Order: sequence, then structure tokens, then C-alpha cells
Amino acid sequence: MKSKVIKNILFYTGIALIVLFMVIPVYILFRISFAVPSEVLTSHPKFLITKFDFRHWEQVFKSGNLWPPLLKSLIVATFTMIFALIIAAPASYAISRFNKKIKYAVILTLFFTRMFPNVGIALPISVTFLKWHLLDTNTGLIMAHLIEQLPFIAWILVSTFETIPIDLEEAAAIDGAGRIKTLIKVVFPLAAPGLAVAAMFTWLNSWNEFTYALYLSLTTKTLPLQIYYYVLRGGFFQQAAYSTILTIPVLIITFALQRYIRSDYLGGAIKG
Amino acid sequence: MNKIKRYYLEILLILPLALYILGFTILPILKTILLSFQDKAGNFGFETYKYLFSKKDFNMSIINTIAVTVVGVSLQLILGLFIAMALKYNFKGKGLVRSLVLLPMGVPTLVSGVTLLYIFGTQGYLNEFLYRLGLITKPIAWTSGGIKNIFVIAVADSWKVLPIVVLLLLAGLESIPTDVYEASAIDGANKIQTFFNITLPLLKPSITMTVILRAVDSFRIFELPKILAGRVTPFLATFAYDEYAYNNINASAAASTVLLIIIIIFMFIYLRAVEGGGNK
Amino acid sequence: MKLKKFFAVGLALVLTAGLFAGCGKKESTTNEPKTLRVTMGLGEEEWKVMREDIFPEFEKANNCKIEAIQVESGDVVKKLEAMKQAGKTEIDLIAQDNMALAPLVEKGLVEDLSEFRSKIPAEIIPSLIKVGEFDGKLYFLPFRPNVEINFYNEDKFNKYGLKPPKTWEELLNVAKVLKEKEGIGKVGIKAVFDGNTTVQLFEFIRQAGGDPLVLNDEGSIKAYTFLKELWPYLSPDSLKADWNTTNRFVAEESMYLAANWPFGVNVIVKDGGKKEIKAYEGFAGPVKASKVLGGDVLGIPVGSPNKDLALKFIEYLMSKPVQEKLASKLAWPSARSDAYGQVEEWQKPYFNAINEAMKVAEPRPNLVYWADVDKALNDALKEIVLEGKDVKATLDKYHKVIEDAKQKAGK
Repeated sequence: MKSKVIKNILFYTGIALIVLFMVIPVYILFRISFAVPSEVLTSHPKFLITKFDFRHWEQVFKSGNLWPPLLKSLIVATFTMIFALIIAAPASYAISRFNKKIKYAVILTLFFTRMFPNVGIALPISVTFLKWHLLDTNTGLIMAHLIEQLPFIAWILVSTFETIPIDLEEAAAIDGAGRIKTLIKVVFPLAAPGLAVAAMFTWLNSWNEFTYALYLSLTTKTLPLQIYYYVLRGGFFQQAAYSTILTIPVLIITFALQRYIRSDYLGGAIKG
Repeated sequence: MNKIKRYYLEILLILPLALYILGFTILPILKTILLSFQDKAGNFGFETYKYLFSKKDFNMSIINTIAVTVVGVSLQLILGLFIAMALKYNFKGKGLVRSLVLLPMGVPTLVSGVTLLYIFGTQGYLNEFLYRLGLITKPIAWTSGGIKNIFVIAVADSWKVLPIVVLLLLAGLESIPTDVYEASAIDGANKIQTFFNITLPLLKPSITMTVILRAVDSFRIFELPKILAGRVTPFLATFAYDEYAYNNINASAAASTVLLIIIIIFMFIYLRAVEGGGNK
Repeated sequence: MKLKKFFAVGLALVLTAGLFAGCGKKESTTNEPKTLRVTMGLGEEEWKVMREDIFPEFEKANNCKIEAIQVESGDVVKKLEAMKQAGKTEIDLIAQDNMALAPLVEKGLVEDLSEFRSKIPAEIIPSLIKVGEFDGKLYFLPFRPNVEINFYNEDKFNKYGLKPPKTWEELLNVAKVLKEKEGIGKVGIKAVFDGNTTVQLFEFIRQAGGDPLVLNDEGSIKAYTFLKELWPYLSPDSLKADWNTTNRFVAEESMYLAANWPFGVNVIVKDGGKKEIKAYEGFAGPVKASKVLGGDVLGIPVGSPNKDLALKFIEYLMSKPVQEKLASKLAWPSARSDAYGQVEEWQKPYFNAINEAMKVAEPRPNLVYWADVDKALNDALKEIVLEGKDVKATLDKYHKVIEDAKQKAGK
């Protein structure tokens, strides 16, 4: 009995430590965004919030640097998500029905695109996009974000479609449904939760993207670009306030959707 | 011809994706690789590589990149496994723990760099914490080069990616049928034995995937070192960026190519050692 | 069921987003007066003054709209390069940090403005014009001179009975005392080994009577030898200190003494409330006092759609009323010898420090092979202070590197 109690204590301590590790950085960010300067700008900063100072938040809200980037980020991330699904979902379905060897090759190719540092490809692609008059347009940024997101989303979706037994399709085929109809009526609904997870990750990644946004924006900014500005120029507190404001909606979305993150949709691709 | 007819639907479905990836990723990558075999005047040869390998910073950046990947990915695997195993059990507050563990996923990378600097800065919260515990009397310079710095970046990276690692491993754990555990319990194996003899081998595919996925991203680590380390701790991606900033486009391309080769070698060795070894 | 709800919400979101996107497009097609696109790298306070006090008058007089865009000097090169390669320049005028001009000239991204030399008012301080010259051609016109001042933490200095150092010996002494008392170095230099560090190296070398372009003369050797001696007593954060992070290190009391550009006053004192951080004009070397003349200059990107208007705007920015406003509202030192500003009371000591430092400010030479010089100076420092290599031998090596670069550029 005693050993069980000790085990429990150890278990909960471990859990508590890890949770602390995950939560503390976010807390500190939050804390600094509300901090009275003298409590943080010293060689012995205070951990607990003794007084809330809303000045920094006010400054950010008043600066006019919040809503336009928020809107742009929202539009770009949402459309990137939609187009990524439209392009990648059918392809991933087809790939998932290939035989093992081809599937393996395709997945490796998808992986290959992730092995190169961004510096090497972002500039040449951006130059092409500028030539196509895509500077400062949402279209250009969405196209650029798709470049990064398509391999990723395809990779998740291939494993999602693999979990759907092929028998179901065959049954539908016997019932006389055409292949495209089967796909729309049978396969995609079954894959819906996996599609949702993939969509969420794509959305998040696009929301966070920085390099292409830097090259392809001039007068309009996305949120990460605006943060970059605050990091360089805004001073400690506005920077924290802006970051917190940016983080909160994303946290809410992740919390709201996390019950749908059935982790098995992420697995499987390499299992082959 | 027949084949095309038979697979027309598949081809139609794949074509947009294939064209997009080919045109916007594969071709630019190949072009950059080609660029790395040219010198500034455009002659082909290995001049750029000779120049790179003669630079101490470049060799350092290779070592640092490998080190941060090894340390970071190991840390992520150990922590991730622990959390994933814990989340498989039912305990009080499980839902909350799961939510909190997924927290960093919602924090944009740039913000996470800023945030972690508050913690690891010389006057940051980690030093203050150690100071209050009485473990140190003067601040430790976490982000000023050396092994400490690599460790800090590995920890920071782990913080950011732990959610996805947990999700991947949890997927693997959930795919292990429960009757396997029941059988093992009947055989009288204790928990530790079960873990090493049953769970770990069955989890191997998931672990492999996690390691490869994470390692590929970790080799390319860029934003975090940019914020949390100075130039004295170069990494391959930051090195390529700096060379680019100094208008050394060929050297930048060559550094990127070296990174690509290292990743391929790593994957080859890993798959050979882990997968091949298991099948024998 | 829940999933359906989620999709419904998602769909609604998308539709609204699309709506907004549609609106955005409509706006840009309406006819407006000519738009002048100007990029600058400024802080929030500075933008406010530009938008409220500087731009409107010009917009009214010329029936145009100024679209001012925040772009950091490092990003200017990237953006212009991409635009030039794409054959579409969408920027009319850049206010660029004079530390980052060489790549713009080297890559042919800015117009040769030599024929407009006559438009420079006679009252502009002559050394500022030199900043914009490359190989005798004028690429940039003066806008705003700047110089680093040395920030120090008065409370801490008083606590240990120290005074802001005026000579190298005093600097070394302050560094030693602080390290001994605090257990960790508290004097900072910007040792990120890029353009930030180059500014500091120029100052040290010139203070010892050396020429940074020669690099192995007596003065340079003296400077590097001194830095090697000073190095162990410096703050470890020096390795990460650039124009941005230095403010943070000073405000967080990681550094008690460090040089940085005056915009730090706003960040540290006004925004951070650290009133104990004072500034002075800095220390002198064995030969003289010397600072690097920094600041922003104005250039016109190749292919600018509104070149004439841009030139008019440059003239406007160089005019006396504008320069006086900038000095009064932002404590920017004036580019004209006849423009004086009245700054706010709290800013006075800092403004004085800037003006004192400006007296010994020397421009850097403009070279097309600047990137090589920049790299050589930094690599030499890295090898000497970090790897402990011999000063003379290392400098000889990099002297050769610079000479080679010079010859290559000359042909």
C-alpha cells in the first residue's frame, strides 16, 4: 500500500513539473504584458503580479497596428487552409490507395521538401511572385503559404485515408455508385475528423508564417510581421502585450478544437 | 496508354499537388543546389565548398546543429513518452493536463522566442529562480555560447514542439491493442518489464516517425537560435542566412546543400540501425 | 453533431473573411492623388511625429499622399533586390541607415543622384554629404545625422563610487571593479560580430590613431590589444548585444555601461521608466576622441515611379523648418548648421550628450567592397578575443584580406 502512495506522489509530481514547464513561459509573457516597469526591469525580477498595469495593452490597441494585420492574417490563414484541403485531400486519397512502395516513395518526396532551409528557396520564389504582381496581395501570400503547407497536410491526410478500410468503397461500388460519388459520399465524410485536424494545423502554420510574409508584403502586414516590428522597435512591454493579444485567440481555438485532435490521424504514414 | 486510362482518376487527383510541389519546391531546391557548385563568377567546381570547410564557423555550425538535434530530440522523446504514457491512464485532472500540455502549440514561433528570452536571459527568470533557491550567487550567462547555449536552445525547442511529439506518441500507444497488455499481465510481468518488452517494441514505428519528423525540423532550426544565441553559436540554417546577408549567395546555397546531405545521411543511418536491426 | 457545428462556424468565418477581402480590393481601385511611397526604419514615437508634424504640409503643397512604410534597414536591401529582379519597383524613396548603404550601391539598387548635388542647401553640414558618396558619385542625400552615446546606470555607479570613464584606462578600471563586485561583467560592447560591432571597432581603432582600412597599423594593433585585455571583464551578454538588444540589457541591468544609438532613450527611460539610466558622450582613446557618424540618408530606388516628387520631398526634408521640428520633437541632431531644436526638459541631458558626441563624429569611408572590410574587422576580433590568437599576426592576415578585396573591386 505504502509503495503505491509513493508511486502516486511521484507520478503526480512528475506531471506537475511537466505542466509547470509547459505553462510558465506563457505565464511570464502574460505577466510582463501587465507589468509595472520597475518590477521587471531590474536584476531581480518579480514572479508574481502584484499590480496590473493596463497601459501597454492600451498603447497597442490605440496604435492602429492591431486590426489590419489581424484581418490580413485571418484571411490568409483561412484561405490557405481551404485551398490546401482542396488540393491535397484528393491527392492524398489517391496516394493512400497506392501500393506500399510507391506510397513510401511519395512520402519521402514530400519529406524531401522539408529538408531544405527556407533561406535557400524563399527568395527565388518571392522574386517570381513579385514578377507576377503579387506583392502585397492576399493571393500571393496564400500561394506562398501553400508551398510550405501542402507537403505537410498531404502527409497527415495520407495516414487519415489509410485508416478508412477499402472494403467500404468496394461495397459502395457494388451498390452502383461511381468512383467520384463514392469519394464524396463515403470516403470524405469518414475522413472528416482527420481533415479537421489537418485543417487546423495548416491554419496555425499559416497564421505563424514569417519569411514569405516579409518578402511579399510592403504596405500591409500580417501579425507575425507586426510582432517582428514590436520586437525590434516597440520596447519590452508593448512587445509582450502584442504577443499576448496575438496568442490568446489562437489558444482559444486550440482549446476549443483539441477534443477533435484524435492523435491517430497524425500517425501511420511511415508505418507503411 | 491503357495504364493512363485505368488510373486517370488517380492522376487527375494527384496532378495539382504534384505540379505545385514540383514547380515551387523541387525546382527551386535543385536550382539552389546547382548554384552551390558555382563560384561567384559562375564557373562550376567545388570552390565554394572548399571555402566553407576552411571556415571554423562553418564546421562549428555543423557540430552545433547535430548536437542540438541529438540533445533536443532525445529530450523530447523522453518527456513526450512520459506524458503520453501518463495520458493513457485515467487520473484526476487528465483533461486539464492534456490541455495545458498542448498550450505551446498555440504560441507563434516568434513569440515563443521572445518569451523564452525572458526566461533564459542573463537577468531572466531562470537565473532569478536559481538565485532565490540559493543555488547560484551570480547570474549564469545561458545564451552566450558554448554547451550551455546549445542546451538552452534544445530545451526551448522542446518546449515548443512537445505537444506534437505527445500527440504522435499517443497515437502509437493507442494503436496497441489492450489484449497484449492483458496477456503480459497474466504472464506476471511487472510494469517496467511490460514497458521494455511490450510497449517499446510495439511503439517503434511511431517513435521512428517522431524522431525523423522532429530531427528534420531540428536540423533546420532557425528562429530560436536567431533570438537565443549570438553569432558565436552558429547553426547551419543561421549560417546560410548570414552568408546570404553578406551577399555570398553561393556559400549560402552550399551551406543549405550540406544541411540537406546531413539530413539524408541521418535518415539513412537511423532507418538502417533501428528498422533494419529490428527485422533481423 | 458537434463536428457539423464546427464546420458551420468555419464556413461562416470564411464567408465573412471573403467579404472583407472583397472590400479591401475595392478601396485600392478608387482614384486618389499621386501616392509617394517612402520607407523608413523608425520607432512608434518617431512615426507619430512624421505623420502629424512632417508629412501633412508636404502633402497639401503637392497634392499627393505620402504612404510611409516601416522597413528595417536590413530588409530594405532584400525588398529592393527582389523588386528589382522582378522588374517592378514600388518604392519611391528610402530613408536608409548609412551603415547599410554599400550593398544598395553594389547591387545597383539606387539611382545616381550626382546631378542633384546643387540642391543640397549650403547650411547642411559638409561631412554629412560625404556619407552618401561612392567613388565620387552621389547616391544619397543627407537627412539625419546620428551618433552613439554611452548609457550608464547612475545608481550602480554611485553605489560603487565609480564615475563614467573618460579614458581607456578608466574604462578598463570600471569594467574590472564591476566584475569584481558583481561577480559578472557589467560593461557591454556590441560584440555580435556584424555591422553593429564594426561601429565600435571603428571608434576604438580611430581613438588609438589607427586606420580601420589598414588594420595592421600601430593604432589598430593598440585597439585590438586593448580589447583583448578588456574582454574578460565584459558582460557575457555583449555577444548578443546589437542596436536593439542593448536597450534591453541596459534596462534589465545586465549592463551598467554600454554605447547605443539615442533612440534607446525613448525605450529605456521613457517607456521603461528607468530614470537612473543616464548618458554621456563617451570616452577618448590614447590619441583622440572619436565616434562614428551614423544616421539616415535619403535615396531613390532604381525604377522609382515618382522620381521627381521624391526629389521634391527630399528637398523638403532637408529644409530648415523640418529639421528644426525633428530636433525639437524627437531630439534628433540637426543636419543643418542653422537649425536648433528646443527639446523637452527631461530629454535635455541626453540631447546634450548627443551633441557633444556629434562634435567628434567622423563618417566612415564609403567603399564598394565594404562587406569584405566589415567581415575582416569582425573576424579579426573574433579570432583575437575568443580564440586568443596573436594580435599582430591576425591583423596582418586580415590586412591582406582587405587589400585583396580592394584590388578585386578596383579592376
